[in-house]
Amino acid sequence: MKNINSKILLLMLVTAGIFSCQKKLDEAFPNPNAGVRVPTESLLPGIIGNMVGSSAAAGSAYGTANDGMQVGRYIQYWATNTSGNQFDQMAGATGASDLMGSVWAMQYFGMGQNLKKMIEWGIEEKKWDYVGVGHAISAWGWLTTADMYGDIILREAFNKDQLVFKYDLQQDVYDTVRTICRTAISYLNTTGDSASPANLAKGDAFFYNGDVNKWKKFVYSVMARSFNHLSNKASYNADSVIFYCNLAINDNADNGTARFSNTGITGTSNFYGPFRSNVGTMRQTVFMCNIVNGINPTFLGVADPRAAYLLRENVNNTYRGIRPNGGTSGLVAADQPTNFWGDAFGTTAAPTSDANARYIFKNGAPFPIITASEVKFMLAEAQYRKGNKAAARTAYIDGIRLNFDMLMNDYGSSVPAPRVITIAQRDAFLANTVIVPAAADLNLSDIMLQKYIALFGFNPLETWVDMRRYHYIDVEAATGVQVYNGFTPPTGIDLFSNNNGKLVYRARPRYNSEYLYNIPELTRIGALALDYHTVEQWFSKP
Amino acid sequence: MRKIAFAWKLCLLLCFLVFKASAQDVTISGSVTDLEKNIPIESVTIRVLGKSTATKTDAKGNFTIMATKGAVLVISSIGFEGQRVTVKDAQKISIKLKSEAADLDDVVVVAMDQKRKPRELGYSTQSVKGAEIQETQRDNFVNSLQGRVAGLTVNPTSGNVGASSQVVLRGFNSLSLSNQPLFVIDGVIADNSSIDENSDGGRGVGLASDRPNRNTDYTNRIADLNPNDIENVTVLKGPEATALYGSQASSGAIVITTRKAKSNKLAVQYDNAIRLQQLTRFPPTIDAYANGTNNLPSNIFRYFGPQYAQGTRLYNNIDAFFRNGFSQTHNLGVDFGIKKSVFRFSSTYLKQEGVIPNNNQERINLSLRNTTKIGKYIEIMPSIAYTRTNTAKVLRSSGGYLLNLLQFPNTVDITTSGDNEGNKIPIFASNVGAEVDNPLWNVQNNRGRDQTDRLFATLGLNINPTPWLSIMGRFGYDTYKTVGSQNFHPQSLNAIVSTALRGGQDNYWRTYKGYNHTINATAKKQFGKFSTRIMAGTMWQDYRTEMYAITGTNLADPDRSDSNNTDPNTRIRLLRNNAGEPNLSIIRQIAFFGELAVSYNNMVFLNYTHRFESASTLPAKNRNYNYPGVSVSAIMSDVFPAIKQGGILSYWKIRGSVASTARLNSAYSTQSVFVNNFASSVIPAFSYGFTNNNPELRPERQSTYEVGTEFKLFKNRLSIDATYYNTLVKDQIIENMRLSYGTGYVLNTQNAASTRNEGVEISLDYQAIQQKDFGWNVRLNFNKMWNSVVAFPPNVSEFYIADTWLYGNARASVLGVGSPTTGIASWGYSRNNAGQILINPSTGLPISDGVFKLRGDRNPAFALGINNIFRYKNWRLSFLWDLKVGGDIFNGNNMLLTGIGRSPLTIDRFKPRVIQGVLNDGFANTATPTVNTISVIPAYNDAYYTASQMPEEAFIEKNINWLRLRDITVSYTVSPKLIRKVNGLKSASLFITGNDLFLITNYSGADPQVSGNTASTRGVGSFGFDYGTLAAPISLNFGIRVGF
Repeated sequence: MKNINSKILLLMLVTAGIFSCQKKLDEAFPNPNAGVRVPTESLLPGIIGNMVGSSAAAGSAYGTANDGMQVGRYIQYWATNTSGNQFDQMAGATGASDLMGSVWAMQYFGMGQNLKKMIEWGIEEKKWDYVGVGHAISAWGWLTTADMYGDIILREAFNKDQLVFKYDLQQDVYDTVRTICRTAISYLNTTGDSASPANLAKGDAFFYNGDVNKWKKFVYSVMARSFNHLSNKASYNADSVIFYCNLAINDNADNGTARFSNTGITGTSNFYGPFRSNVGTMRQTVFMCNIVNGINPTFLGVADPRAAYLLRENVNNTYRGIRPNGGTSGLVAADQPTNFWGDAFGTTAAPTSDANARYIFKNGAPFPIITASEVKFMLAEAQYRKGNKAAARTAYIDGIRLNFDMLMNDYGSSVPAPRVITIAQRDAFLANTVIVPAAADLNLSDIMLQKYIALFGFNPLETWVDMRRYHYIDVEAATGVQVYNGFTPPTGIDLFSNNNGKLVYRARPRYNSEYLYNIPELTRIGALALDYHTVEQWFSKP
Repeated sequence: MRKIAFAWKLCLLLCFLVFKASAQDVTISGSVTDLEKNIPIESVTIRVLGKSTATKTDAKGNFTIMATKGAVLVISSIGFEGQRVTVKDAQKISIKLKSEAADLDDVVVVAMDQKRKPRELGYSTQSVKGAEIQETQRDNFVNSLQGRVAGLTVNPTSGNVGASSQVVLRGFNSLSLSNQPLFVIDGVIADNSSIDENSDGGRGVGLASDRPNRNTDYTNRIADLNPNDIENVTVLKGPEATALYGSQASSGAIVITTRKAKSNKLAVQYDNAIRLQQLTRFPPTIDAYANGTNNLPSNIFRYFGPQYAQGTRLYNNIDAFFRNGFSQTHNLGVDFGIKKSVFRFSSTYLKQEGVIPNNNQERINLSLRNTTKIGKYIEIMPSIAYTRTNTAKVLRSSGGYLLNLLQFPNTVDITTSGDNEGNKIPIFASNVGAEVDNPLWNVQNNRGRDQTDRLFATLGLNINPTPWLSIMGRFGYDTYKTVGSQNFHPQSLNAIVSTALRGGQDNYWRTYKGYNHTINATAKKQFGKFSTRIMAGTMWQDYRTEMYAITGTNLADPDRSDSNNTDPNTRIRLLRNNAGEPNLSIIRQIAFFGELAVSYNNMVFLNYTHRFESASTLPAKNRNYNYPGVSVSAIMSDVFPAIKQGGILSYWKIRGSVASTARLNSAYSTQSVFVNNFASSVIPAFSYGFTNNNPELRPERQSTYEVGTEFKLFKNRLSIDATYYNTLVKDQIIENMRLSYGTGYVLNTQNAASTRNEGVEISLDYQAIQQKDFGWNVRLNFNKMWNSVVAFPPNVSEFYIADTWLYGNARASVLGVGSPTTGIASWGYSRNNAGQILINPSTGLPISDGVFKLRGDRNPAFALGINNIFRYKNWRLSFLWDLKVGGDIFNGNNMLLTGIGRSPLTIDRFKPRVIQGVLNDGFANTATPTVNTISVIPAYNDAYYTASQMPEEAFIEKNINWLRLRDITVSYTVSPKLIRKVNGLKSASLFITGNDLFLITNYSGADPQVSGNTASTRGVGSFGFDYGTLAAPISLNFGIRVGF
């Protein structure tokens, strides 16, 4: 009996032992270091940061700013200080390069599951403002991504268990963007429950600081863009653009701007500042300089006072730029501009201080995503196309003035004292008929070149959309003036050999995402062709 | 012979006396000695046949037992042939046991600290004696195993002091998990990790700066084991051998037995060594041209300027940089004891200064091991070992001194490395941080240091209540704490911290606590000629790593290394550290296992094992898994004794085994988690990490079969052991596999691929000469492996180990089915369909295709270790040659040197040449491509030497062989006659050991034994990637060894 009892006891002990061991295994299963759930609010700062240049522990340099450096070369905002840069030559990314794939990474990884979760949890927790903001950014993201790449993964996106992904048509993305915009507005209009400006401000501190009304204007601005981009189509409706422009950002205070706490961690600073050390090889181009120097035929003879804010002087204290793929050729040493951080032309290393840097090239400089000025230029273009030249002129003036104001208010740092713009100078500029002609004399070149200036630096992607709409060198039929007057695309040996003589119209999907792991789909859409980047997109086609 | 004859007489006498015996209890005392060695044998079981009475011999081989007159005493001990003695009167008997006839070797320690006779093993094992390891004088003992065990590859990751070594048994099975074997010390599992710098965005136990395991090294922790404490190392290579250890041992196991006291008499051993080291292997460079480009001088760190003007003073900066390494080691061992409790205390002090300035190490080892017998049945073996290692480190790879040295102009004397304030002296630039560091300044100002204190405590317990039952327990607690820091000077041109950030610093505090125990019971029973053994046991493992790590920039003082040195706003911590808690990695596993062994007549052996395992890393539904193992061995020479006739073949065994095992995912790879997001924010911000982790993961399944045979010929003078194995790993857990970002992530975790790994191992031992004053023994270890991927997701063109992407565009990759697991993928020359190199018609230069393709395989054709031991009177000479044939290397150093005009490849730059190829003029793929006729003179167009014209493919060196003299030792033992003249002295010897003295290779770089990352890079790792790591220096050790 005693023996049996002890056996039972032993059995019980063993059983208990196994159970307690299983419990210890269970305890060790979940990751103690990182959560599978975090506060909904805590996702928004990263999502916003990602719009410019991501800065997570999980990667950086995803966002519009990184690809903007290459796109800025296509549209000749800047070029490389030495010859041989393929993007100066309107090439696409070649080989195993992820260049031009940052917007892809932004949309699918940076935003991706984070945005999805923020919306999902926002609905769960009735934080309608977060749900609305999530949709707003999502709409902007899809539009931006589609404009870069054309056909993209849409319907199958963010399915965690899938191995390969189908691409959808660009027009489907445009439709989806508008649907998402409407959803965004409806959530942003929903108040009560757990939605509150104070709570939204927690996640939104460095964008709109919790102001839902500004987010609505942001959404309408995205709507306006989506209609404006289709200017070449028969279905183009200027009234849609005008309608949404009127609801959109109309004041600099409402500008959709990513701001930076600039605490010394690279991620909290502007992608173009010395900390991030990204723009060391970029120099202003002759085309951009000529517009503000009064050399460009459209604004002949008028020096634009904004030059001192946007551009860099040389030893001669003038504004001269380089030719893409030309290095210093044609510029004597004293005419060579400093780099955007204020160091000598040849210096590519970042300085330890950003004291000499200006504009968006400072560590803490705010980085606009959509500005009131841009909206006014969209309005001007739509009104112009509709034939309302007076209304177009008004919007055009607003666009220039809003850009002046933005620069004067936010970007005066380290501008040489004698060149700081006064209100009088601004008004004088606006009164100059070369810049602002009578309504009857206003042409597309005026509007698009002023928009080109107003978006300088921070929004090469949108300017690229505009330039592609005008096929870089389209001439306005009515006036016979080239819209981007004075713009010379690279030709001959300055145009990349793969282009086969054609200009660039799209970016290749991110190499390390698609070219290694989604090849059948790339084959289907023809993205394996070496000149795929020269294929015109749906949006700019008639 | 006289002794044997005496024993026989004694036996006969005993037999004769049986007849006169009567049933009466008598006390019998006696002693048991080894017939051949004439030394007492401990733990011999003396049993009265048919009764439960039994005893064991003590350390002196003595025993006493009560028995009835006429009873039969059965004397048995593992490794010896049993004897039976019939009891006559109370008497004192002397028994001499003969070692097992066929295999004279000692018993082999196999899984679970069990001892087995080699003949019964159905799988291959190989042992290395501790003395042989100690003789090499290598402070990281794993480095002494290379060439001594067939199928074992040790890749030291650099010649730096404190560098880690990658240990691989039988090649690579897993593509993304660890392929390192399990280390077991006295039956207890010991940690051999090196710090993995990768923290996956702060969610792991790496550094807060999340680096790719190349810039600094952290030692593989088994190096904490004092080589002088090793009695024996047994390498369990096969599947069956390690099946009982389970998933941790799926890459094999290295089983270490420590030295124990031999008796309770006081014995003291002391030895020392002084080591001198010199760097003799350095990437070859040329220095004939001034700084500049296209034959024009300019102030850049490229050497394509004109030839140096006559009289230009050139400094020998390489010689000025390296110093002679110097180290000293002192070992003290003391054996002592009280009655049945024996102790061994050992201690080591090691202080070494490496060949690189500021690269030093100091190590202290202390250990105490005890064996105590309690009563008749119980034996306990507690031990404790303490190690302190303190290492001063320098940066390697990108940002490190070696690449500085390759790039630094020899027109500047590096010994003027900084100004009086320690500032870097610029050569060309106004922005001092933008130019290559002076290498001396680099090692003085980018300082790294770590200190590890480790305590390793074990308790062994053996209970043998009856002769047929034994119970054993092995309990181990292994803990260490590492504290370290790494500085990046504000003025340093560093790949890690840009100068705009004004310097950076990492600090970390790591604590490891590992507990494991094994308890098992074995019962034996004999049925006629059949012996059976059944074993059942349990194992519990609980490993916990805690990590605090912080990184920051903007240093207050480049000379400080405390974590307050950085700007508070810039500090980044591991995720849980933000709440003041350490990041954790906890892995727990429980297992139950059993073994059934049946043997027939000590000739045929069958073994079956089964292990049931549950591991915490897997989701509950996939957590419980089990796997079997079976092995057979047959001593053919006993089954068919006829083959022994003729005296040539004395022993022939065949064996085979089949087993499966599992391999576990890394902890927490089942959950997609949020990591720190460093965007501007007023609240702590998060975003998903790169990795799409997988809640459906299943364990990786590995199945292997192995067949082998052993021969002993010519009176056992020649023994041969040959093995073929074949391993299939299915359902591989691929961590960090890239897919389309359409998943919403960058990296993915899946059960995705299968690989097959095969190999042949042959070891041969030949006692060539065995004379009184002269002996020669030669041992060969041959190893050939081949591997390939047999299943892979069709949409994945490439899986690569990110850490190995060290330089340019070359990395360790798998490119689909059929690709080797040890491949090198890189960019290469653009070629037409006929494989001819395409030439740019406007420049006459080739172009890079910009695509990662398989361009090389690092797996060698075969490896051969040749160990010779000569003995002449009191002299002993041993040396180990290590031959490796085949295997490719990416010579990144040479690619860098070529690009800057320092490689010997660029010496003939003025020679006009036409590159063989066809013009890329649109006719390249026609029947008549245009043959290139454009002559170029690289000196005037140095783009010729840059990556886009001379891609990585050009720097993958094929079929690299080496023959190296790993270790050579000459020792002299002072003759006993002389020893006796010194009071108390028992033994004395002198030795000289050389390491890595001699190398013949067809490799153009410094040393083909190279690895670009530390041992913590998982998967196949980065052996064969040569970029910025130092070759092993040559060493000479001198020392004496005395015993009291």
